[in-house]
This record gives sequence, C-alpha cells and structure tokens, in this order.
Amino acid sequence: MNELMPIFIRMITTSNIVLVMYLGLCPFFGVSKKLGPAISMGIAVTLVMIIASVATWLIHDYILMQFDVMYMYIVLFILVISSLVQMVEMTIKRTNATLFNALGIYLPLITTNCAILGLTFLNIREEYTMLQSIVNGLGAGIGFGIALILMSSIRVKLEIADVPKSMRGLPIAYIGATILALIFVFTFGGIV
Amino acid sequence: MVITILVLTGIGLFAAVLIYVVNVVVPHKVMGLEKTEEINTILPGMNCGACGYPSCFAYAQAITEPKALSCCGTGKDEDVLTKSPCATLLEDEESVKELEKALGVTLDVSALGKKALIHCTGDSEVICDYAGIETCKGAAQLLSGYKKCPWACSGLGDCVRVCLQDAIFIDEEKDIVVIDQEKCNGCGLCIPECPLDLIELVPSGTKISFLCSYEPIRDIPGREKCAYGCTHCRKCFKACEEEGIHAIEWDKEKALPIIDQDKCTLCGKCIEVCEPNTLGDFTKANKPKVAVLSH
Repeated sequence: MNELMPIFIRMITTSNIVLVMYLGLCPFFGVSKKLGPAISMGIAVTLVMIIASVATWLIHDYILMQFDVMYMYIVLFILVISSLVQMVEMTIKRTNATLFNALGIYLPLITTNCAILGLTFLNIREEYTMLQSIVNGLGAGIGFGIALILMSSIRVKLEIADVPKSMRGLPIAYIGATILALIFVFTFGGIV
Repeated sequence: MVITILVLTGIGLFAAVLIYVVNVVVPHKVMGLEKTEEINTILPGMNCGACGYPSCFAYAQAITEPKALSCCGTGKDEDVLTKSPCATLLEDEESVKELEKALGVTLDVSALGKKALIHCTGDSEVICDYAGIETCKGAAQLLSGYKKCPWACSGLGDCVRVCLQDAIFIDEEKDIVVIDQEKCNGCGLCIPECPLDLIELVPSGTKISFLCSYEPIRDIPGREKCAYGCTHCRKCFKACEEEGIHAIEWDKEKALPIIDQDKCTLCGKCIEVCEPNTLGDFTKANKPKVAVLSH
C-alpha cells in the first residue's frame, strides 16, 4: 500500500500523462470541445488503460520473458490491446445501450493511442508488479480525465472570448493547454 | 527466429478466436439498436461529417433515438432529417426510398438538397504575376489576391483539394474554379476553404444565381473592378416586374437584387437584360468549361 499511493498521486499530478508527458494529445484536443464527451472519453480511457495494463503485464511476464522475445513487445502489445478493446466494445454494444451511448464510440478511437501504449511501456520500464500496473493505469486514466474536463471547461469559454481571428479554435487551445500544463507542474511539483 | 514466428502467430490466432467467440456468444440483438443498425446500413458510411455528426452511425442514432427534451425542435425524427440532411444520401434515389420506408416518413429531396455556388466569375483583370505559394489562402494574404477585384476567385484550388466528389475544376484560361453541379452533393466541405468566403450553400432548387461578391467600397460600383460586376442599374428588377412575376426585389442598402427562387419561373428575362452578365442560370451550371454564365 505504501508504494501504491505515491504511484497513484504521481500519475495524476506531476506525471500527468497528457499535460506533463505529452502522450494522448489527439483525443485530448479532439474531444475537449464540450464537457459531455470529455467525461465519456475520460472514463473510456481509464477503462482501456486498466485492461491494457493487465493484459500486457500478463503477456510480458508469461510469454515475453519465458521465451526471451522481449523485442516483440511493441507488436504484441498493439495486437493484444486492440483485440481486447474490440471485444469489450462488442460486449458493451450488445448488452448495455446506455453505456454504449455514453462511451461506446470512443473506445475504437483510443485503442492504440500513444497514451495507452506509452503507459504499458512505462509499466515495463519501471518493472511494476501486476497491482502496481493496475494502479498506474488507473491513475493515468484519472489524470487524463481531469485534464480533459479542465480543458473542455476552458475551451467552452474560449469559444466566445475575443480571440484574434488567426488564433481561433485549435491555436488558442494549445496555448491554454500549455498554461494548464505549467500550472500542473509548478503547483503540484511544489506540493508533492 | 522460429520462436518469434510461433509466439506471434500463436497470440494472433488466440486473439482472433477469442473475438470470434465473443461475437457468437454475446447476444446480437440489443433493444433499441436494431433500428439504428438498420438505418446505418442505408447510410453511405463515408463518415464525412457533412451532416454535423461525427459518424454515420451517430447520425443513425440521432434519427432513431430523438431526445424528448430537445431544446430545438419537437424531438421528432423529421427534425434531424430536415435540419441536417445527409447530403450524399439525397443524391441516391434508391437509398432515399429505403430510408423513407424504414422510417415511415417522406422526404422532399429538392427542398433538402443543397449545392455549392461560387459567387464569382473571376473575370477581373490580373494586375500582377503571382509567384508565391500556390494556395488561395496564400494569394489572399497579398492584398486579397492578384486580380483587380478584392473578392475575385484566384483559381489556385484550395476548394478543389477538399472536394470528396471531385466536383470542382480549375478553369485554366480564366484562372477560376468551377463547380460541376451534377457531381456536387452539397456537403459544404469547400466552404471554409475559400479565404474570401465566395462559396455558399444554396438549395438545389435554386434557379437564378447572382455571381458577384463585390461590396462597394467608397461607392465604387463593382463594374470598375471587373467586366461582370453589378452596376446597380436595376434592370433585372424592372424586367421581372414587367413580366408580372415579381420574383426579384431590390435591396436598397446594398444596392443588389434579392431573388425569390420559389416565385421565379426561369423565363430568363433578367439574364437577358443584365448587361454585365452578373446573373446566371443556375440550372445550366453543369458543364464545367463554360462557367455559370448563359451567353
């Protein structure tokens, strides 16, 4: 327990996967225009990160290490994660229409996002146990969700703000994200 | 080497079998999504986004599951279909019939269909030899283009590049772009591309098109900049009145005609009378070579 809490808090604040590590910028800027999709995307990303952490940890420990084929980890992780997400999406689509409406369409979009893959590579590099990997994934997903919710609230206001014509839309969103990232690093870096 | 192949193949096969098993085992029919799936098969499946929804599946969902407390409209199916129609679907008559049968509604294609219209014949005098970056947006940065009229189409093809239907052509002689109205499905992807905002989505039932975007600066009429600019002579307005049709009204502020496409009978008098040929016959706009004028 005394290792899990630091991992969890670190992934949300000072090692935030999108604001500090710059992974997963595509869905971050793509879905952050409104609050509703932002929340759905955050939940979908958390779910996929946990599934991916579990599956890749199993593959890594029981297949890659056993057969000494560590160099194949990129290909195998992509294969396994996309298959699992496909199965999860199929199951959700056919069993629970409300849940599907909430986050179904985002699942195929983030299947092999660099955030998901990057997280699994982090798990390998830090040599986490299964439980630590799960907490890592959970923290990263929640960190992504928080950053996304903050960003969507900012962008809703930026839509009606007086922005120069050439900066409207994505450029000013990037600058907003930069400022948000600076806040995250300096505030939380000082506290944690 | 062998182990690599075995491991990769093994895991790939395992994943494939698992997906197949899940596909077969998990019950196929979900309450509520059957209708959506049915509509989804009728839709083009291009996910072009012209209707405003992120994918064809999302559009199908919007049609079949209207929100009861929608803030705009009464929440019925027809509202989504009329407010944001699927442009590609409307081109295909069979699909329209299938959709009508599936939903139990009738669609008025000519009222819903849209076409893109360029409000420029581009015949303005060329005042410099443009040697910059070959995009319209680049040319527009330089004093609004290399032609005398600041609203002239520069013909460098930003809109051509985004058209999914290949409906836009560059007319090399005149250095403008021309839209082939037969191929255009009104998706509107070309509209944000034009830096001078020359393209407009008009209903496909439009008959007469006004082909100049010039806004008089310091009272210099459009005629000064281009041979096809409006001279504000009001002959079109008078000709329509004399015919008794009254389809053209005169906007006094902008000094331009306003055409009521429903009342227009396409008699052609206004086009005949217009000296600078600013008014064009929209229904004849199919041949790419001879722009949209009816000489």
